[in-house]
Amino acid sequence: MSQSNDVDPIRYEMFRHRLFNIAEEGRIAIQQVSGSPAVVEGGECMSSFYDRDGTVIITAAGLLLHCTGCQDAIKKTIEWDQGQTGIHAGDQFFFNDPYIAATHVYDMLVVKPIFYNGRRIAWTASMMHTADTGGVLRGGATEIFHEGIRFQGIKIVERGEFRKDVFRNIVEQCRDPQYVGLDLKAKIASNNVCAQAFLKLVEQYGVGFVEKAGSKIIADSEKMARAKLRSLPDGTWRSRIYAFSHGDGKRKLFKVVCTMKKFGDEATFDFSGTSPQNNDATNCSLPCSWSSFFNALAGFLFWDVPWNGGMVAPVKLIIPEGTVLNCNFPAACGLGPATGGTLTTAAQECITKMLYAGGHYDDVNAAWCPAKGGEFRRFGGKNQYGGVVVQQIYDFFANGLGGTPQRDGVHTGCHVLNPQSKISDVELIEMNYPLLYLSRNQVKDSGGYGKYPGGMGMERIMIAYGTQDLTDNYWPPHGIPWGHGLFGGYPSNTWEQRFFHSKGLKERLAASEYPTGFDDITRSGFGEPYSSDQTYGRIPVKEYDFLADRAEAGGGGGFGDPLDRDPQAVLNDVREEVVSLQVAAEIYGCAIDPKTLILDDQATTIKRKELFAKRRLLAQEVHYYEDNGMSGD
Amino acid sequence: MAKKQYIIGTDTGGTFTDIVVLDNDGNVIVNKSPTTPDDFSEGVMNSIDVIVDDMGISKEELLRHGIMFKHGTTVGTNALITMTGPRVGFITTKGFEDTTLIMRAIGRVDGLDAEKIKHMAAVTKPEPIVTKTRIRGVRERVDYAGRVVVPINEADIRIALKSLIEDEKIEAIAVSFLFGWVNPVHEQKVKEIARQMYPDTEIYYSYAHELVPVVREYARANTVIINCFLGSTMNSYVSKIESELNENGYQQPMLIMQANGGVVNRNEMKPISTVASGPAGGVIGGKYFADILGHKNVITTDMGGTSFDVSLICDGFWQFAREPVISRFRVIQPMIDIESIGSGGGTIARVDPDTDRLLLGPQSAGANPGPVCYDMGGTEPTVTDADLVLNLLDPDYFLGGRQKLNRQKAEAAIVKKIAEPLGLSLIKAAAGIHDIVNSYMSDLIRKQLVKAGQIPEGFVIYAFGGAGPVHCAAYASELGVPEVYVFPSSAVFSAFGIASSDVIHTRVSSHRYFMPVEPDALNTHIQNIEAELILEMKREDFQEDQIEFRHTFFLRYRRQMNELGVVVPTRQYDAEGIQDVIDLFEKKYDEVYGEGSSYPEAGIELISTHIDAICKTTKPKLKTYPQAKDDPAGALKGEREVYFAGKKQQYLKTNIYDYAKLTPGNKFNGPAIIETPVTTVIIPPDRSAQVDSYLNISIKV
Repeated sequence: MSQSNDVDPIRYEMFRHRLFNIAEEGRIAIQQVSGSPAVVEGGECMSSFYDRDGTVIITAAGLLLHCTGCQDAIKKTIEWDQGQTGIHAGDQFFFNDPYIAATHVYDMLVVKPIFYNGRRIAWTASMMHTADTGGVLRGGATEIFHEGIRFQGIKIVERGEFRKDVFRNIVEQCRDPQYVGLDLKAKIASNNVCAQAFLKLVEQYGVGFVEKAGSKIIADSEKMARAKLRSLPDGTWRSRIYAFSHGDGKRKLFKVVCTMKKFGDEATFDFSGTSPQNNDATNCSLPCSWSSFFNALAGFLFWDVPWNGGMVAPVKLIIPEGTVLNCNFPAACGLGPATGGTLTTAAQECITKMLYAGGHYDDVNAAWCPAKGGEFRRFGGKNQYGGVVVQQIYDFFANGLGGTPQRDGVHTGCHVLNPQSKISDVELIEMNYPLLYLSRNQVKDSGGYGKYPGGMGMERIMIAYGTQDLTDNYWPPHGIPWGHGLFGGYPSNTWEQRFFHSKGLKERLAASEYPTGFDDITRSGFGEPYSSDQTYGRIPVKEYDFLADRAEAGGGGGFGDPLDRDPQAVLNDVREEVVSLQVAAEIYGCAIDPKTLILDDQATTIKRKELFAKRRLLAQEVHYYEDNGMSGD
Repeated sequence: MAKKQYIIGTDTGGTFTDIVVLDNDGNVIVNKSPTTPDDFSEGVMNSIDVIVDDMGISKEELLRHGIMFKHGTTVGTNALITMTGPRVGFITTKGFEDTTLIMRAIGRVDGLDAEKIKHMAAVTKPEPIVTKTRIRGVRERVDYAGRVVVPINEADIRIALKSLIEDEKIEAIAVSFLFGWVNPVHEQKVKEIARQMYPDTEIYYSYAHELVPVVREYARANTVIINCFLGSTMNSYVSKIESELNENGYQQPMLIMQANGGVVNRNEMKPISTVASGPAGGVIGGKYFADILGHKNVITTDMGGTSFDVSLICDGFWQFAREPVISRFRVIQPMIDIESIGSGGGTIARVDPDTDRLLLGPQSAGANPGPVCYDMGGTEPTVTDADLVLNLLDPDYFLGGRQKLNRQKAEAAIVKKIAEPLGLSLIKAAAGIHDIVNSYMSDLIRKQLVKAGQIPEGFVIYAFGGAGPVHCAAYASELGVPEVYVFPSSAVFSAFGIASSDVIHTRVSSHRYFMPVEPDALNTHIQNIEAELILEMKREDFQEDQIEFRHTFFLRYRRQMNELGVVVPTRQYDAEGIQDVIDLFEKKYDEVYGEGSSYPEAGIELISTHIDAICKTTKPKLKTYPQAKDDPAGALKGEREVYFAGKKQQYLKTNIYDYAKLTPGNKFNGPAIIETPVTTVIIPPDRSAQVDSYLNISIKV
C-alpha cells in the first residue's frame, strides 16, 4: 500500500482544490496591484506554497519559468539560517540573485515563512518580472555587478513590520523607484493574502493533515510524471539550436545541444556539447536553466501533471559548468531567460519527437518560436509626461506556434513561457509610453512552410513620440530562424530589429502617408536604416525616428513537406495573405494565377514533380551529429 | 375592482421558453413551453397560448391588457454559437488590419477553462467572424490625447466601402479606429461618406464611438463586429414577435432583456447587449427578492444539471464583469458578472488511476444519458447518484415523481468506479462525492468574494436550480455564510427576473483624469453623458424625474494597469467631493489588497466612468400568507434514514415534509427534508429552518 493512504482521499481533494484556489487569489492580487506591463499584460508573476523545507507544493503561475524559482531561495534562506532561528513569523525576504534563484536580476521575489503555534509549517512566495534594477542600461553588462541591485534575502518585512528603510534602499537604487516600489508592494500583498488563507486552512484541517497532504500533492505529481514516461517509447533523441552573443564587440555564434535519453519511467536531458559561456549577458545561471527546462517539461510533456517539485523528480538535467547554460559567477546573465529559451526549444524538440514516436499526435507541435537570444528592444529616457521610463514592450508574446501532424500552427498565438500569453492593446501602450505605432500586423511568409505550416508571427513599426529624450538599444540584424521545422517542415523566418532615422515624417504623416510594412520604410523613402560596425550599442532616438521589428514575434516551425500540402489550402493562404505568390510557387509548387487567384491543378502537379526532381539532384550523404564535426563556434 | 393589468415576461432558454404573468393583484402565474430552435418566436407565442389556458382568458385579453411585454432571448447567443449571421466587413486603421486576428494572443485561450489551457499543444484560436479578406485598412491616426496625427485619407474610405459592398457583398460593416473613443472625427467621416456613397443600400453599420467609446482596441473591435453580426438577425426576430403581439392586441412597447440586468425598448436595443441575458434573469430575480427581504449583500447560486453559476449582489446591486468574453471573443460590454464551473447534478466523479485522487468534473453526463440512476444508459457515477445513495433524494419522488431513479444501478456504479479503487465503503464514497462537489462550489464562491474585496460573513446565499437546495446548506456552512434562502415557488426564476426588471441604459466611457481632477471637468463629463441617457429614456416615454442614476468610477494608482471600481454617490462635484472619491477608492483598495499595499506616492487617476440610468418599472407584488403555527407536523409525509456527510458522517432518522402543505411560520430543526415537485431542500442536522410569509424557506447555517 502506498503512503498516500495516510491521507483521507476526500478531505485531501477538498484541501488540494482550496490550496490551489488560494494561490490563484494571490496571483490575482499581484496582477491587480502591479504597474508592470510584463506582469499585468504578460502574466509574468507567480504565487505559490512550499513545504516547511521549501519544496514547492502548488503554484499559480502566469509564467512557467517562475514555477521552480522561489524554491531555491527558500532553501537557501533555511541553509544560511543554520537553525539559528533568525526566521520569524511575519518576516518576508527579498531576493533577486540569479545565482541563487530565478532567472536574472529582474526576477524579483519575496518569500514568507508561515508559522502556526510558533512553529514554521510552510512557506509562501511571490515573484514577478520588474524591468528596472539600476545598473548599466541593458545589453552592456559583462559581469553581474553591472546589472544593478542584487539581493540575497533581505528582510523587507520583519515580524510583520514593513521596513521602510529597506524598501527605500532597494527602490532608490533604481531609475524608476515608483515602478519598482509598486511591484514590491504587490508581492508583499500577495504573500499576505496567501499566508492568511493558508492559516485558515490549517485551522480547518489541522496542521498534521496539512503537512501530510502537502507531501502527497508532491508525491502524486511524481507518480503521474512517471506513469506518463512509462507510457512513452524508450530511446535517445537529439537536437541543437544556435544563437548569437555579442561579447567583446564581436558577433559570435553559440550552440545549445541536447541529448535526451528516456528509459522506463525516467529521462535524462544532457546538454553536454553546449558552447562555453559568453562575455556578455547571454548566459544562464543554473537556476535559470532549470526554470527554462521546466518550461519545456510543463508545457509539452507534463501539461496534465500538477506542476510542482514532484513533477521534475523522475527527470535529470545535466549541464556542464562554464557553459552558456551554467555560467560561472560573476558572469553577467541579464539575458539568461532568452538564452534559456533556446534550451526550452531544444528540449521541446526532443520531447516532441518522443511524443510523435509514441503516437501522441495531439501533443505534437513543431517548435514554437521561443526567444531571440536576448535581442529585445529596450528603451529608456523620458516619457511624454516628463517622467522616467525604462521599459520594453512584450509584443513577442504573440509568436506563431508550430505546425502539427493534423492541422496548421496557430498564428500569433502564444509564447512558450506562458500558456496564457497576451500582448497589450496598442492604445494602452501609447497612453503610458512615448511611442506611436504605425503598424502591428501579422507577417506574410513568417510561419515555417510545411504540409501543415507554422503560424505567422507579427511585425511592428513604432516611432518615438512626445519625447526628446530617449535611447534605444541597437542589435545587428539577425540571421537565425527560431522555430524549427519537424519531419520535412521548414523553419520559421528570421527576425530583424532595426532602427531608422526618419526623413520628413511629420510632414508626410500630415499628408496621410505612412509605412505599414517593414520594407515600406526604406522602399518608400520614409527612413534610412541605422547601421554600425559595433555589435551592440545604445543609440539616441529623435522624435519621429522609427523603431521597427520584422517578426518581433516569430513564426512557428512547419510540420511535414510543403509539397504535400493541399493546393487548395495554399490558395486560401494566398487569399488570406498568409503566404506570398512567390512562396506558393517556389516552395509549395502551386500554380496560381497572380491576377485572378485561380489555381491550376494540372500545372501544380507538374510543378511539384519538377521540384521533387530538383531536390534529388541536391541530395547529399546524411551526416549525423556525432561524426560530422560541425561546430557552431 | 380596478381594471386588470398584466406584466408579461418570457425567456427563451436552451430547452424551454419560460413565461410568467404578473397581474395587478399580485398574482404570479408561471408556465413553460418547449423552445423552437428553427424559429424561436414560435416557442414564445406557444408559451402565451399555454399560459392563457391556465388563466382561463383569451390571448387577446391578456395582450390587450398587457402594460409591458419583456422578453429575454438566446437568439443572439445562439447565432454566435452556430456562427450563422450576415457577412460582416470591418474597417479599421491601416497598419492594424490584423488586430482581430492577432487577438492580443490571449484570444487563443479566452473562454476556455484552466484544464484546457494547460494543454498548450492542442489549443487553437476560434474561427474569426470577419476573415482577413473582409478587413480594410484606412490611413488615419489619432493619438492618445485625441490629436489628429494623420488626417484620414478619404480615397481609402471610398475604396474600402466599394470593395466591401460591391466585391465582397457584405451585409454589415463595423468601424473602429485607434483612439476613436477620444476623438471620433475619423469614424464620423466614414459614416458621412458611406451615407453619400450608398444612401439606398441596406447595410447594417456599427461605429465604435457610438456603441462603445472605451479604451482597448481589440475588445472594442470585437464588440462592434459582434454587434454587426447579430444586428439583422436580432432586428428581424424582434420585429416578427412584435408584429405578432400587435396583431393580437398588444399596444405597449416591447422590452428586450440585456446582459446589463435591465430591459430596453426594442427601438433602442443594441443587439450585442442581448447576448448572455438569459443567466442575468436569475440574478435580477435574486435582486428582486433581496429588495423585498431586505438583504443588501447576496450570493446568488444556481446549481443545475451541468454547471454551477455564482454572482454577487453587493450593497444592493449586482457586479459587472471586468473583461467579459462572449463565446470566445473578448468584448467591452456591461454584463452582469456570473462565474461558472462544471459542478452540477450530472457532474461525473472518477478516480485517477495513478494517484488515487477522487476527482469531479468538469465532464458531465448532462441530461442524456444523465446520471446512472436515470437508467438511460449512463455508466459514470455522478453527483445525483451520490445524493441518491445517501438517501437525500427519494427515488420515487424526484422531480415530483416524474423521473424515477434506479438506486441499485447508482450503487453499483459508485462501488465499481469509486469505492473499490479507493478502498472505501459505498456510503463513504458517496459522501465523498457530495463533500467534494460542495467544496468546489464554496471555493468558486470564495474566489468571487475575494475578487470583489468582500468577506462571506456579511452575505446571504440564495440557492436556485434543481440541485441547489440539496447542496446549499453545506456550501454555505463551509464558507461561513450564516443564512441560505431557497425559493421553491419560483421555479422559473429567470423569467421572473425578467418580468421584474427595470429599464436600464448604461454608458461606459474611458478617459484619463489625474486626481484631483478639476471638479468642473468631471461635472461637465457626467452632465453630457446623463443628458444623452435622458434623451434615450425620453424616447422610451419616461420622464426625467423618473430616472435614477448610478455612478461607478474606475480608478487606479498611476502606473498600474488595472483599475478598481467604486460606486460613488451621484452629486455635483466640488474640491471636497473629489477628495471623497479619492478616499472611497483608497479605502476600497485597502479592503481588497490589504493595508500597506497601496502606493499613494504614485498618484491616482480616474480611468473610466460607468453610468447607469435606471427607470423603475411596475414590480410584481408578491402574495403574502398569514403566519400560522410553528409546527409543520401537518406537512409530514414520512421519514427515512439519511446519511449526512460533512462533519457528521452518519445515518440519522430524518423527517420528510411535503412543501405544498407547509404554511408560513413553520419551523424545522435539522435533520429534515422538504420535497417539492422541482427540488429537494436539505436541512442538515444542527441547523434550523423556517418558512417565511412568501413561502420561501430560510435555513440558518
